[in-house]
Amino acid sequence: MRQKIITIIVMVALGWLCSLFMNGLWVAAVIPFISTVSMQIKGKQGFVLGFLGMAILWLLLILLKDVPNHHILSTRMAGVLSLPNAALFILVNVLLGGLIGGLSGWSGVVMNWAFRASPNPSQGGASRDKK
Amino acid sequence: MRKLVGVLPIVLTSVLVALLCKPIGGLPALGKLLDPVDGCWANAESVSEDYNHKLKLDGVKAGVTVMFDDRLVPHITAANDYDLYYTQGYLHAYFRLWQMDLQTRAAAGRVSEVLGEKALKFDRTQRRKGMVYGAEQSLQAMEGDPRSKQMMDAYTAGINAYINTLSFKRYPLEYKLASFKPEAWTNLKSALLLKYMADDLTGSTDDIALTMLRDALSPEVFASLYPERLQGVNPVIPKDSIAPVATMPIPAAPADSIAWAHIAATDFDKSEEGKGSNNWALSGSRTKSGKPILCNDPHLGLNLPSLWYEVQMTAPGVNVYGVSLPGSPGVIIGFNENISWGFTNNYRDVKDFYAIKCASANTYWLAGKELPYTIRLEKISIKGKPDYFDTVQYTVHGPVIYDEAFHGTGGLKKPLAVTWMAHRPSNEVLALYLLNRSNGYDEYVAAIHHFLCPAQNMLYADRHGDIALWGQGQFINKWRGQGRYVMNGADSATLWGKEIPVAENPHTRNPRQGYIASANQTVTDTTYPYWYNGTFHEFRAWRINDVLRNTKAATVQDMFALQNDVYSVLAARVLPVMLTNITPSALTDKERGYLNMLGDWDYRLTAESKAATVFQVWWANLYNTLWAKRMEKMPEALRPTPERTMQLLVEGSPYIGNIADAVVVSLRNSMDSLDRLKKADKLQWYRAKNTMVRHLTKLPSFSYASLKMGGWGNTVNATKTDHGPSWRMVVQMGDEIEAYGVYPGGQSGNVGSKYYATFLDKWVKGEYYKLQFYTSTNKPAPTYTWTINPKNK
Repeated sequence: MRQKIITIIVMVALGWLCSLFMNGLWVAAVIPFISTVSMQIKGKQGFVLGFLGMAILWLLLILLKDVPNHHILSTRMAGVLSLPNAALFILVNVLLGGLIGGLSGWSGVVMNWAFRASPNPSQGGASRDKK
Repeated sequence: MRKLVGVLPIVLTSVLVALLCKPIGGLPALGKLLDPVDGCWANAESVSEDYNHKLKLDGVKAGVTVMFDDRLVPHITAANDYDLYYTQGYLHAYFRLWQMDLQTRAAAGRVSEVLGEKALKFDRTQRRKGMVYGAEQSLQAMEGDPRSKQMMDAYTAGINAYINTLSFKRYPLEYKLASFKPEAWTNLKSALLLKYMADDLTGSTDDIALTMLRDALSPEVFASLYPERLQGVNPVIPKDSIAPVATMPIPAAPADSIAWAHIAATDFDKSEEGKGSNNWALSGSRTKSGKPILCNDPHLGLNLPSLWYEVQMTAPGVNVYGVSLPGSPGVIIGFNENISWGFTNNYRDVKDFYAIKCASANTYWLAGKELPYTIRLEKISIKGKPDYFDTVQYTVHGPVIYDEAFHGTGGLKKPLAVTWMAHRPSNEVLALYLLNRSNGYDEYVAAIHHFLCPAQNMLYADRHGDIALWGQGQFINKWRGQGRYVMNGADSATLWGKEIPVAENPHTRNPRQGYIASANQTVTDTTYPYWYNGTFHEFRAWRINDVLRNTKAATVQDMFALQNDVYSVLAARVLPVMLTNITPSALTDKERGYLNMLGDWDYRLTAESKAATVFQVWWANLYNTLWAKRMEKMPEALRPTPERTMQLLVEGSPYIGNIADAVVVSLRNSMDSLDRLKKADKLQWYRAKNTMVRHLTKLPSFSYASLKMGGWGNTVNATKTDHGPSWRMVVQMGDEIEAYGVYPGGQSGNVGSKYYATFLDKWVKGEYYKLQFYTSTNKPAPTYTWTINPKNK
């Protein structure tokens, strides 16, 4: 459990740092990959952690703009996507970040398995977590 | 193999990201748009945004200070003209870049480039109208004068200095939504924007419609329904003004058989009932303060970001405040320390059509000679498609707008060329340059004489007590009737003749009546020596004259009230006729119920009035009923004006058919509409008419609808569904200028800014802001300050 939380924190912190000089799509596509590769994450954890890490990161980045803006933009953008309110717009936005992050994290896991001759990726890191 | 599988998810992720970065179909590039770093979120401006900036810019010659007041109106102080217009360009781009870009693309017929094939017809129309051709002509004139050239060069440089700082992250949101990017500004774009205004204000004429009607109706019916001049008008130039002396004789009209072309059945754009702008000035004899008051509310399409951008511009020799058009340098409507001015559209016809007699594919007939067309190949780029090439043939008359290859509305395919004042070189930029610096009447007149198209009723008031108005534009000395209908393009007798010297334009200065008022009505009485026609509107002029005639000690508050006046002259004159033709006992209960609402109505189209809705619906039905039969085969747009219809009704004219029947039938026909409105709880006038201020993309969430406003095209406050007072200004001249204004929008074009539609609420309520005019003695503390310095200092 602790490793999972650490992985997420690392992803968010690293992502935050990178977002200062690259756009959020790149961050979400690259950071979980690097994290899962370097932290030897296995199995479906790759997707889950990547998803959570990037969803949290995007949520933080969004709130940092949305709160001082008093939701002016998010309310109007919700309308553009025919969503009833700003909160739902933010949710959709966050899910998108999560999806990219999840795929990126999963890519890292599969990459590890393919190139480092690790055990079958489908076995996951659950056993290690229990220790 | 395992390695290959290992790469698959990476490929999958990359493909997803790549797809998200591409616009698909009509959708924006969602990934780029929703990116929390560079996407739409970058446009979410903090409500406590700090607008203080210290800028170092290439191109600024000395230092510039911009003080923003609490409404984010910039007060620019520059050391020279160049820096002044450079800074205005920078500010326009900073706050309004996207709309400037889009509007000039629209003017140039380049919308397909960013929106795809659906805009092709629009683009072709623009090219065939000769919009770019006209702008190129004017640009030559503008760049031919050192003052306007410097003004435009500086303005363009300022815009580009801002554009050059932009990356995707800082693009206005609309670029991210439509997936295109800003392009470098040019002086031509400013010229195009002015032509865009010229097209909006002089582009639609009823020449083609009248051509068809003249052939279809008997001469006496035609003359009665479509009089060349409406009787009983209050012309812009008051009767006691001295008419200019014509220095040229009026040309003789050629025989009808030579002059006119004929048009077969076709269809037409629906013309708007009572478009309208108002301006009036009271001399000190009619105001409480003894100082003149000038008022102006130009009515235009109600859009966001607003058409106008408020600004004060100060440099040696100039200190001017007013509204500017993003995309064009200078102040259009406003005041300086000595004078104030306002514009309404003049509506004299400066656009005429010629039927072209083709000789061969490359030639046409004129005066018995075969002349070659001049070809202008128009390349239209289309997003996602190969370029489209349109060949536009230019004749002596001008470009062939409609032909076999490009039909007019309703399938009109007869080759028609258009002669239009907007095709001629003119330097409106210089007019504004000089106008902004005018210190008195003579300088004002000298300035506006450079303003040739679109012709405007240019109102003037100064601090010494003078009021004046010029019906200013470039006009042609026409033979009687010339250009009222489509002309025979093969005969040289129909060609436009000499230009009337601008000094002989209709004007008035300090008329005895103590006020001047223009509201797009007929410009002059019969004492004006030259012949002209136009599409004039009279309702608002009748009302404004009625009010001002009885105004003795006017205050600025009285002027606010008149700009917001919703008294309908149409209703006051026509409703009594309608009611006398009704026998209440013959009505159903429901009909009587609606009719009772009109019982003690005061003819005011106030926002909450239900009687106003009943009248408007009934009148619309009556108008249709009256003309539907007589004009069965005619497109709706060809019906007589509401003004003329009202007169015919009041006179009980035989040309209008059985009035009593029409009144009863139309009341009956109104029941469905009224019931529907009632059921939807929309019987209140503002709910029924639904005034909207819409974002240029028409996205509802960027727009405001169902605004609680009264008025219609037949009232002074001519707020319609998407058209209305785009700027309301009241200026009391004197040693200290007292000015008020409001426009439906806000200073920022950013939908993510709290300044996007800040003024809308006050505008809806008919309230005004007191304008902060900074002078050497009056310098309020700014809310924000920009200091701009050259890069090397």
